Amino acid sequence: MRLELNTVIIRDIQFADKTMVSNGVLHVNRSELEGLLLEDPRFSRVDIELARPGEKCRILQVGDVIEPRAKTSPGDEDFPGVVGGQVPVGRGSTCVLGGAAVVLSDYREKREVGKSTDPSGEIIDMSGPGAEASIYGKTYNIVLLPTPSDGTNPQEYQAALKIAGLRTAAYLAKAGTGITPDATEVFELPPLTEVKAGFERLPRVVYIFQILSLQFDAIPGEPVLYGRNVPGIVPALIHPNEVLDGALTSPSPTLNLQTYQIQNQPIIKELYKRHGKDLCFTGVIVTTAPNNMTEIERVSNMTATLAKYTVGADGAVLTKTGGGAPELTMAMTAQLCERLGIKTAIAMLHMAADVSDPRYGATTIFSMPEVDAIVSMGVPFMRLTLPPVERIIGRAGASAEGPVSGEIVRAINNIRGTLCQLGSSRLKAVRY
Amino acid sequence: MIRVAHYVNQFFGGIGGEDKADMPPRLVEGMVGPGKAVQAALGDQGEVVATVICGDNYFAEHVERASEEVRELLRPYKPDLLVAGPAFNAGRYGIACGATCRMAQNNLGIPAITGMYEGNPGVDLYRRDVYIIQTKDSARGMVDAVNKMVTFAGKLLRKENIGRPAEEGYFARGQLINETADRIGAERVVEMLLAKLRGEPFESEVARPVYDRVKPALRIKDIHSATIALVTDGGLVPKGNPDKIEMITATRFGRYDIKNIDTLNPEAYEVSHGGYDSTLVRQDPNRLVPVDAMRDLEREGVIGKLHDTFYSTTGLASIVVIMKKVGQGIAESLKAEGVSGVILTST
Repeated sequence: MRLELNTVIIRDIQFADKTMVSNGVLHVNRSELEGLLLEDPRFSRVDIELARPGEKCRILQVGDVIEPRAKTSPGDEDFPGVVGGQVPVGRGSTCVLGGAAVVLSDYREKREVGKSTDPSGEIIDMSGPGAEASIYGKTYNIVLLPTPSDGTNPQEYQAALKIAGLRTAAYLAKAGTGITPDATEVFELPPLTEVKAGFERLPRVVYIFQILSLQFDAIPGEPVLYGRNVPGIVPALIHPNEVLDGALTSPSPTLNLQTYQIQNQPIIKELYKRHGKDLCFTGVIVTTAPNNMTEIERVSNMTATLAKYTVGADGAVLTKTGGGAPELTMAMTAQLCERLGIKTAIAMLHMAADVSDPRYGATTIFSMPEVDAIVSMGVPFMRLTLPPVERIIGRAGASAEGPVSGEIVRAINNIRGTLCQLGSSRLKAVRY
Repeated sequence: MIRVAHYVNQFFGGIGGEDKADMPPRLVEGMVGPGKAVQAALGDQGEVVATVICGDNYFAEHVERASEEVRELLRPYKPDLLVAGPAFNAGRYGIACGATCRMAQNNLGIPAITGMYEGNPGVDLYRRDVYIIQTKDSARGMVDAVNKMVTFAGKLLRKENIGRPAEEGYFARGQLINETADRIGAERVVEMLLAKLRGEPFESEVARPVYDRVKPALRIKDIHSATIALVTDGGLVPKGNPDKIEMITATRFGRYDIKNIDTLNPEAYEVSHGGYDSTLVRQDPNRLVPVDAMRDLEREGVIGKLHDTFYSTTGLASIVVIMKKVGQGIAESLKAEGVSGVILTST
């Protein structure tokens, strides 16, 4: 399977009469895009704002973030099952608007405390220390602010919000399809069972990718894998190119994992880089994190067995999404892999950061001798002081901590794009 | 010229051995005993202006009072830095050194440094509060220890960046700090896997935690006469959350009366927990704290009695040492109330 990502670098963004890319400037026809998104009866109104790096601007109640992308090869569809029809992705060519991002801002006025469908209190700052720490503080952002129509329930709204983001991503990137790209990347692997000559002695490495946490109820109608939500999925082997090319999007609540990071999946890219030199990349197992022990054991067993006896892996990299139950699922899967003879390394945020006692300084909720290779992707509770801003985009409903335009203190956990469950940042927690 | 105060025990202060261990603190101007090594390490950068000598027993038995007395003795000398010990492997001396350093930081507002051997109980008691340089186990390591302590104290005085524990030679203070690594996490995890596959050494970036093993209690001899309590970490609290149990990283628990209550009324309860979707629990709190089912068992005689109080806290991103105290508090209370069994429900 061969995928070509053609990146057009965006250097500025502005509203205009026609949506187009010209000299690196993304022009957005605001009313045309609003009209497109208003086709969804779950919205009564759609506002669109632009936020540029360096602006004294803060975006509130940020949900998912998506990179603008559109397929350019004949017969292909964008975000199959959501924007386009059910056509496989991961092959042909795709236009990427590099340096731009579609940001979803939850524009509901009310929230129901304690529900997973509550708007998040997460923000993006476009300047200052918040912008420095976040990848989305450095992108040209198209912010969608849809208002739910009467009778639209929170789950319907959240599903609609995600779909609006994906439609916008495809709509904008279509404007870049005629342009000569600034960069082209090729991702190509033979069928995963084929071993090229000279590769026989390389270790076979599989990536075990947790895509959904069932700590919270999955939102019906929210696209995750080829347009469907997949709470009941069994571990499945998919091609890494499908992940990179829009088959997979990040489910709500996006806990330190946005669709943008899935589209630019850093572990898949790194395994590709090492493929044929240090390892033989043998595919991606997508799996879930259940919310009870029986299911955690079931999923872990099935994943490890798939990795060992179907994939024939010698090594596996594992990551998680969400908090405690996902961490346990990841660790148990790694432990079972090790017992079957597959060497493992995992990468994680330390969600259970215990900063008070060095002896019991637990930063993992598991303690398994086999799971001995852990990469730190930082602790989420480090706080940043963010200076006042001149412009606010979004509603402040979930941020009940005083005027959001003034100086605020936020844990990096609440600044979108500072932390990444997939290891796209260089953050690492060190014990002092 | 840096004005340095020095704390030593009765032995290093040249007063005497165990027979003098009960002496209260006294001040001597200038340097005493190991103060000479401190002065040598300081060179012409500073001067040991005062030394406080105190008996080990006196200090260890009256930590608060002794700390205050040392503070009052030192205050007129306006020190810029306190050097305590080093205490090597002497336990009571280690406690005194840790406590005087903490006092100097908190009450005199000056940096402080001490040194101890890794087995000294003062290390675990004070490492979180003060910098403790790792030393050998006896005074044979005096010159080396004092040189390290004074060099390190210079960094504190100049407010320089302090390096990692292993590089600088102090005991880790337990803080996790985010740093910027040379490569992104994805590159590091693939590299670590490859090292492991090649059988090469690799260093995990996250240490495996040590958890206590809980020994299960003996079985209940007669369940039909037992009083059973309900305890949850799912954050169920009466409306208004009277005990202000935190939604995340909780530090306390609540105890709530269910005497003569047959079933929990959803109108009367709310959930203080940010880690799961509590819709179902708020619709029917009995599904988290099963009072209704327990009343059935009580009526059927399966259990003797449902305890009159249920206990609740919030288990989300919790800190182990704090939760340990919460658990001990709940357990002590249940024991005092004559409960013989507990059903714990988690989310």
